[in-house]
Amino acid sequence: MKNFLTDKQRKAGRGRLLLSLVILAGLTRPAFSQAAGDPGARSRSDARKPRTVVIDPGHGGIELGAKGKLGTVEKDITLAIALKLKAMIEKNMAFQVVLTRDKDMDVPLESRSAIANNQKADVFISIHTNSSRQKSAEGSETFFLSTGATPDEEIRRLAYLENNSSRIEGHVDKTSEDDVKMILWDMAQTAYIRQSSQLAEIIQAELNSLLGTRNRGIKQAPFKVLTGAACPAVLVEAAFISNPEEEKKLASDAFQASVAEAIYRGLTKYLQLYP
Amino acid sequence: MADKKNQWKPAIILGGGLVVLAVLVIVFFTGGGREKVRRLAEIGIPKAQPPAGETAARKTVTLFFLSDGDDFLHGESREIAAGPSAADEAERALAELVKGSARSLVSPLPAETRVRQVFITKEGVAYVDFGREIMDKFSYGSSSELSAVYAVVDTLTFNFKSVKKVAILVEGAEKETLGGHVDLTQPFLPDYSIVAK
Repeated sequence: MKNFLTDKQRKAGRGRLLLSLVILAGLTRPAFSQAAGDPGARSRSDARKPRTVVIDPGHGGIELGAKGKLGTVEKDITLAIALKLKAMIEKNMAFQVVLTRDKDMDVPLESRSAIANNQKADVFISIHTNSSRQKSAEGSETFFLSTGATPDEEIRRLAYLENNSSRIEGHVDKTSEDDVKMILWDMAQTAYIRQSSQLAEIIQAELNSLLGTRNRGIKQAPFKVLTGAACPAVLVEAAFISNPEEEKKLASDAFQASVAEAIYRGLTKYLQLYP
Repeated sequence: MADKKNQWKPAIILGGGLVVLAVLVIVFFTGGGREKVRRLAEIGIPKAQPPAGETAARKTVTLFFLSDGDDFLHGESREIAAGPSAADEAERALAELVKGSARSLVSPLPAETRVRQVFITKEGVAYVDFGREIMDKFSYGSSSELSAVYAVVDTLTFNFKSVKKVAILVEGAEKETLGGHVDLTQPFLPDYSIVAK
């Protein structure tokens, strides 16, 4: 929905890039260069630790989410899809999966991304079913965060620095440490957005081929649940619960399994890009 | 007598100091700009009424609605009473947006929604305070929540030069989201990429 970077951000980015080059030029230690070269990815010193995916079934508890005309409630469908996805991952893969809720309960939006940050998640995926005022609205789409819409940036920055500070300390003199941290954070931000868009694109392609729903593409939006995550993060909108035809599909076990399968395949492909 | 006066002096100074301190503390905790909007809204200052009669100034605004045929917002012209301030006109424009389309476009907001107040800061942020109906009368999905928010944002930024950004409040308070999706804790820039050409 938004341009990738505004002019202002581009200009600010150029300024910071210049500053970062000046500072990086003064550093010859290989460990730091390595850290700076791959700022968005988790430190590979813990590469042997299985990677973690946090799955977020949208809404829950008193937060019903959208409602279909036939009585289907979004929070039930998102949980059903998430549980199927978790079972698939656990059966087939070598990475860890954590759900933000595994039953019908309230989970505040900021707690959902906090779970991802506490778990040092490699990927955060929020699952939703869409709703529109237009009767004819149909199809599936995948969102990632719009740039310039990150009010919880401070939370993400702190989470990032907590997980990465040890890589900086000792390599840089104390006076420039804060500058370097800010530069690394900026680079990580850019990397998260780029990786989120990549993840969204891969998952969207799988939704298109497995669900047979209309391709609404990938989009950027300022979604609260994505603003706090210090890792690549996407929000999947599988079909429209407000459209009775699609509501019937969403209520079926087979369709829910297909949504889970599509996300599962997308995840596998994405994680292969970052071995 | 003189002695007695001097005896009271420290107490008066101390008491005065405490009063000043108390005022400072109260201002410190309640003096924010957003608080002002909330309290103005609660007092319920009567809305400025446009002058009656046929000579009253009118202003044409563009309201943004949904269409059943595509995913875009569509503009529709509407006449409202002009003046006295941009905030008064903005309130009327939003009330018309809530009323809905005259040519069967789809309304992005619940018809029951009250527009409680619009406050425009010097920096160009319009704070729009809606009644709770905007949250309670729809069960939002991502699409309907995005169109509700951006119909409001684009309607104000498109029609009022003094508005650069729009912040949405509900019942005088900041809310996290309308229905669990779009972040309301930051003012929005307009997004005309979702408006039909």
